[in-house]
Amino acid sequence: MAVVAVLTSLAPLVYLGVRLNEFGIEKVLTQTLRARSFELLANSVVLTLAVAAASILIGSFQAWLTVRTSVRGRSVFAILAALPLAMPSYVAAYAFAALLPGFKGFWAAWLVLTIGTAPYVYLAVSAALVRSDAATEEVARSLGLGRWNVFRRVTWPAIRPAAVAGAMLSALYTLSDFGAVSILSFDTFTRAIYNAYRSSFDRSAAASLAAILVAITIVLLVAEPWLRGRLVPTDSRVRKTSHIHLGWFGPIAAALVLIWAGISIALPTISLIRWNFIGLSQADTGELFRALANSISYALAGGVIAAIFGIAVSVLVVRYRSKATVLLDKTIWLTHAVPGIVVALSLVFVSNRLVPQLYQTSALVIIAYLILFLPNAIAAMQTPIAQAPKALDEVAASLGASRLETLKRVVLPIAGPGILAGAALVSLSVLKELPATLMLRETGVETLATRLWNETSVSSFAAAAPYALLLVLVAGIPAWLLNRQVRQSLYNQADIDRILERE
Amino acid sequence: MNNTLKRGLKIGAALIATITAATALTGCAKETEPTPTEQSITIYSGRSEDLIAPLLEQFTDETGIQIEVRYAGSAELAAQILEEGSNVQADVFFSQDAGALGALTEAGVFKTLSSDITDLVEAKYRATDNTWVGVSGRSRVFSYNPDLVAAADIPQSVFDLADSAWKGKIGIAPSNASFQSFVTAMRVIEGEAATTAWLTALKENAVIYEKNGQILEAIEAGEISAGLINHYYWYERAAEVGEENMKSKMAWFEAGDVGNLVNVAGAGVLTEKPEAATFVKWLLGQTAQTFFVEKTAEYSLIGLPQRTGLPALASIESPEIDLSALAPLAETLELIRNAGLTD
Repeated sequence: MAVVAVLTSLAPLVYLGVRLNEFGIEKVLTQTLRARSFELLANSVVLTLAVAAASILIGSFQAWLTVRTSVRGRSVFAILAALPLAMPSYVAAYAFAALLPGFKGFWAAWLVLTIGTAPYVYLAVSAALVRSDAATEEVARSLGLGRWNVFRRVTWPAIRPAAVAGAMLSALYTLSDFGAVSILSFDTFTRAIYNAYRSSFDRSAAASLAAILVAITIVLLVAEPWLRGRLVPTDSRVRKTSHIHLGWFGPIAAALVLIWAGISIALPTISLIRWNFIGLSQADTGELFRALANSISYALAGGVIAAIFGIAVSVLVVRYRSKATVLLDKTIWLTHAVPGIVVALSLVFVSNRLVPQLYQTSALVIIAYLILFLPNAIAAMQTPIAQAPKALDEVAASLGASRLETLKRVVLPIAGPGILAGAALVSLSVLKELPATLMLRETGVETLATRLWNETSVSSFAAAAPYALLLVLVAGIPAWLLNRQVRQSLYNQADIDRILERE
Repeated sequence: MNNTLKRGLKIGAALIATITAATALTGCAKETEPTPTEQSITIYSGRSEDLIAPLLEQFTDETGIQIEVRYAGSAELAAQILEEGSNVQADVFFSQDAGALGALTEAGVFKTLSSDITDLVEAKYRATDNTWVGVSGRSRVFSYNPDLVAAADIPQSVFDLADSAWKGKIGIAPSNASFQSFVTAMRVIEGEAATTAWLTALKENAVIYEKNGQILEAIEAGEISAGLINHYYWYERAAEVGEENMKSKMAWFEAGDVGNLVNVAGAGVLTEKPEAATFVKWLLGQTAQTFFVEKTAEYSLIGLPQRTGLPALASIESPEIDLSALAPLAETLELIRNAGLTD
């Protein structure tokens, strides 16, 4: 199954290969080795690094504040931190641009993408903090280390792998994003790829540029283990830990988080609501419900399928770790920075040549989601699955359980919340996805995102607003679920201990 | 070994079951479901659903031919048709602009249209080899706020906007396809040097926007005095806020000026189905042409009178240019970028 997942995720690469081959290597080189390409490359790389750095800073701070401290209102802060995930970055970009004239360029793109992707870091770091042992920090404090030094020397090394993993998601998201950067007029590589299709109808030039994004992804994938640092071993039995009392810093920290929530959630929401009142165009209720139903079906199906494949890949990598399986795991990430339109076109190309029956069916849409979002699912599941003690597998096997049964009765119950979190993350991304849905859906099927696209393309903002608001509301459900699952890993750990004792 | 095989089969079966289940789960609610006995065609439409859906309903009412339609951007649909290869799903491609049609003509995927269709439209609004035909026209206009621009100050030519008197007063959308087609026309007609000079002057004078609609909003709000847009944006906004609330007016440059470029939305046929040709011909009939004039304020290409307030299509005297030649825009994009208008 993991092999199927890998083969599927390679479809875009096959397509890029075919296009580049057709184009000829010389033309590819002249197309890509222009001064302009390097400028765009620099823009993309700088934006990606800036967004990733900001996400680490903001996401980690939110996670630390809500998990480790006793600051008042931290459960509310936790929800506020995850909520921006529910807003598609193109909607946020539109909302900001409508509210603030002149909101464009690098910093605008940086802000919108940081808002949209900091929750990835927040969720990953929260999960890591919940699992890591606060006692080490207490010991460090008692040995006379200051608060900052405790953070730098104890807490940070413990959360660094998670922070980097989360930042990886936000970096790849930034690399592949088209909606926000185009609305905010910041020229990146992705924008050049879209322009190649839109203005010159040049599929091969677009493919050459997309191949470079794959190359950057490889660099990031190679650098990632090094950035992650060593996994700090923690005592797997988590005791009830005491929360840090912040004192005078408490109100300041709360204020910082609230200001960020105001910028990231309140501002765009106000702008969306304002859309409702500035126009005469109106959304049709019947269409609204049909689109809602379709969006929810796609999101559920995408989440379930991604969870199944995610478990397969994670179990393979965690339980049968070898050079081959690690390579398999990395392969799935290769196309994660390739823009949606390229993934969609590659599926148009591949399916029409291999399985024309699949073309323009919902099955192909789900396959596209699998390619686009499987890495998100794996990122959320791998650690929880790794947490399930291998000893239990062996016990189960010695008692005569088959491997599938072991998976069902041992690994899944323990890693349940993590798996649910992965599925929720995929459902969330599916709800927001636009370019692949637009190109691959069955003719006549509309989702909230495609309707939203349709209304804004004729500037009927008032008619678009209900779709945007509904989309944010619906996406809020998996966002909330995700947050809850991640923070509940604490209780899950207690379950593991219980199971261990029982055995 | 046998065990491994069994397990493989089991996993395979589970896989197929889940995908089938997922597909059944997403037995998505479609808007129309044609019964297989009826004649039906599939249209890929780069024109938006809000505008076109009511028109397509009328077509089905009049002819009994059912329609399935996919809406997306014209360029994306063109790319999709090209990647579909020999398994083309669309019978008709209805494009927002001539450029996308030209790209498909070049790839040789269109069927040639019969002369009873192409003869309905003037030669400059269709493909030279009759593979596509324009169905409605839109003109580039000089949009202005009458509080800020006196009637006497309306420029004669788009080249007048290079004058420093317009500094900070004129809005353009250099990353928008309609502006880029216009610059391509300028490049073809006036040459590269003149175009570069104009673009460089505009870099000094112009306020940059992403979309035509934003330019119009800024003119309405008095943030800028004037801008270059397509004429129908005025009517689109008037439909949204009410015509009586519109502040801005439209003007045209002198006859033949490249600033008056008239571009078309058009259609081409991809399969031998007779219903596909019927549809394209119907688009050039009374019902559809009246619809374009009344609903989208575009120009009829079979000579129906335009909306009140607009000059006649013939009187605009847009520059002579092969509209499908507006497709290869790479050089234009380079010029616009080199002038510093897009970053």
